[in-house]
Amino acid sequence: MNAVLRYGLQVVLYGAFAATLGYFSTSPAFEPLPAGHALIRLSLNHAGQRKVACRTRTAEELAKLAPNMRAAEDCPRERAPVLVKVELNGRTVADISATPAGLSRDGASVAYRRIPVQAGTYRIRVALADDAAGTFDRVREEEMRLEPGRVLVIDFEPGKGGIVLR
Amino acid sequence: MLRLLQRLLQRLFLLAERAANAIFGEKLNPLYHLGALSYWLFWVVVVSGLYLYAFFDTSVTGAYPSVERLTHDQWWAGGIMRSLHRYASDGMVLTMALHLLRHFAFDRHRGFRWFSWVSGVLLLWLVYASGINGYMLPWDQLAQFTVVATAEWFDAIPVFNGLLIRNFLTEDSVNDRFFSLLSFLHIGLPLGVMALLWIHTHRVPQAKTTPPVALMVGLGASMLALSLAKPALSQGPANMAVTAAAIEFDWFYLPTYALLYQWSPAGLWALTGGLTLLAVLAPWLPPKFGRREVRAFHILANPDNRILRVKEDESILDACLREGLPMAFDCRNGGCGDCKCSVLHGEVELGAYQESALSDAERAAGRVLACVTKPVSDIEIEYVPTARAAVRPVAVHEAVVTSMDLLAPDVMRLRLEVDGGKRIEFYAGQYINILLDDGQKRAFSFATAPHEPGPIELQVRRIEGGRFTTHVFTAMKPGERLRFEGPVGSFFLREDGEKPIIFVAGATGFAPVKSMLEHAFHTGLKRQMVLYWGTRTLSDMYLRELAERWAAEHPNFRFVPVLSDPAPGDHWQGRTGLVHEAILADYPDLAGHRIYACGSVKMVEAAQPAFARQGLTPDDCFSDAFKLAPRIHGKEADLVRLGGRP
Repeated sequence: MNAVLRYGLQVVLYGAFAATLGYFSTSPAFEPLPAGHALIRLSLNHAGQRKVACRTRTAEELAKLAPNMRAAEDCPRERAPVLVKVELNGRTVADISATPAGLSRDGASVAYRRIPVQAGTYRIRVALADDAAGTFDRVREEEMRLEPGRVLVIDFEPGKGGIVLR
Repeated sequence: MLRLLQRLLQRLFLLAERAANAIFGEKLNPLYHLGALSYWLFWVVVVSGLYLYAFFDTSVTGAYPSVERLTHDQWWAGGIMRSLHRYASDGMVLTMALHLLRHFAFDRHRGFRWFSWVSGVLLLWLVYASGINGYMLPWDQLAQFTVVATAEWFDAIPVFNGLLIRNFLTEDSVNDRFFSLLSFLHIGLPLGVMALLWIHTHRVPQAKTTPPVALMVGLGASMLALSLAKPALSQGPANMAVTAAAIEFDWFYLPTYALLYQWSPAGLWALTGGLTLLAVLAPWLPPKFGRREVRAFHILANPDNRILRVKEDESILDACLREGLPMAFDCRNGGCGDCKCSVLHGEVELGAYQESALSDAERAAGRVLACVTKPVSDIEIEYVPTARAAVRPVAVHEAVVTSMDLLAPDVMRLRLEVDGGKRIEFYAGQYINILLDDGQKRAFSFATAPHEPGPIELQVRRIEGGRFTTHVFTAMKPGERLRFEGPVGSFFLREDGEKPIIFVAGATGFAPVKSMLEHAFHTGLKRQMVLYWGTRTLSDMYLRELAERWAAEHPNFRFVPVLSDPAPGDHWQGRTGLVHEAILADYPDLAGHRIYACGSVKMVEAAQPAFARQGLTPDDCFSDAFKLAPRIHGKEADLVRLGGRP
């Protein structure tokens, strides 16, 4: 192979190397969400109520305990799982039971869901239960328009009124 | 199945490498420098990254605009640096992946190589993590996607369980401290890459970590052109309230992220974890149960006369380089032929190589490519040591002439005391080069045995008109200082085997033979040895009494003096004629012998074919003059120039 041809082919191969880098560093484009869709991100980090309510110890019970352990109330550590339901136009899109963290199930319940939905107007209903009976006593219902690409975050913040949509 | 896959990949690599050899040449074939290219690309990433870091604002509100300013306001510096940073990172993934695949294809990941293989797999992960981390920094839409996807992926691990993503739910969730953390990670991870790279290559003897300059220029120019033609750009500022419909995606670093939403985070962990586990275990797959014999052999390497232990699956080249032998090499992939050597004895497995690097005729003559050849028995090899000064320079010494004795009218014995009483280590039969003021060299064999303490003995024959030898005979006095380099030469005594040895010395060719014989007597060599020393007259046989004394003292040694033109006053009753003819007459069949011949070029050139005709095999015939016959008259000839030549 003569030198001119060799150098020419070298240029072609270096060009192919650069073209490979150039192309695959940006292409083909990736669509994280199907076209015309919005995204609901449900995230919560909330400790449910105690599964068994605290009770006052009797004098006999207290006497049996070591002096430094004589707490007036006996509070079992285990907490209730947090239940969350999300409905769009009456259709359930998430029904979660978030188990409390920890070996004794006494920590916060954490949950996360990524829910892609077709863009449009929805009546959104979010209900949350955090007691042992599973009573959905915290509810938020709202009509919202979700534009394509919009990210709606559903969170639970007791300090801000409970269920938050933003 | 695995073997089938490896054979297929081998075939593909060999075809690609053959084509690349034709285009780039064996020395510049990028496929032979994948590891070194990865190193170089890493340094490009580091240098460009340091520049970018100087202008990067580590805050939520400042990150995006700072990268935009860098990209557009100084496109000629910051913009190019950003592009080089990205493209070199992508190129590194490509070269590393090919490097890994090539080692797998050629089964160069087993045995002692497992460490480099496993550290290489971990390295790939670390580079991958560094790159993904880098994509988070510009805080554009790709950064937002990468951060959220990473959090969602990691949240599948029970310990996180959905907590990580809470840091990236809304604009308010992300704070400046997060960017400080990202920056620390983007410094820490590459530092980890650097450390792991060092560990990865540490076990590979003389691993090349710098590719040839021409390759660096070629790749650098192509990436620079790409940076100008298609600069790396941001994709609009991050906004947690929306998600981009389409993202320009780096498929070198983010392909697994594309699967994240097709499968599930847990599924992706299963895939990546499974593949990583498979890759880490690859050196031991398929498993071999039960006790397995470890195949480890030895190499007797000439001219070093050293015995090396070869690890299982280790190539001849790797074993030799590990032991510091100055063996030439370049591509290490069976493509260039630089590491060619001869297998004198034993069985080897040739491995895969390019036919252009080793012809059928060479293979038939026992030549192999040391880089791809593995011993399958104990073997003996011979190679030409490289003269690469950086690896093992020939030592230069200074010495003083302590004594001068006239052994014959034209032979002077010089004794040299090396400065500081230093003892030179050499093999019996090697020589030194006396360095003259104008850089010229004159070669003389050691006449002393390696074990002997004290001065070095040289036997210098006066050459009519010779510059150095005339000086020795006319002007040199004890106390004169000399500079010399050495030891050098591959003519030395092989101590393996059982065959009787015939030493053939012509005139001052006695000097290296004296060294070999004294070494043999010292080490207690029990093989039968005979010395045929040929000179013109009796007075030329300057140490005949010494040879006769050896014969009297050692029952396994015999001495046969041969005069070609005895003087009338010699009253010679012994053998006459040419020394090699005396051997031919005494040994009609030389098949069971080993011969060391040292004399004039004319003598050995005449003797070698005659010995071969009487059954002496090439493997049993030693003389630098024989081996270097085509080079004897060239400038680079390094044969022992007996007695010195002008």
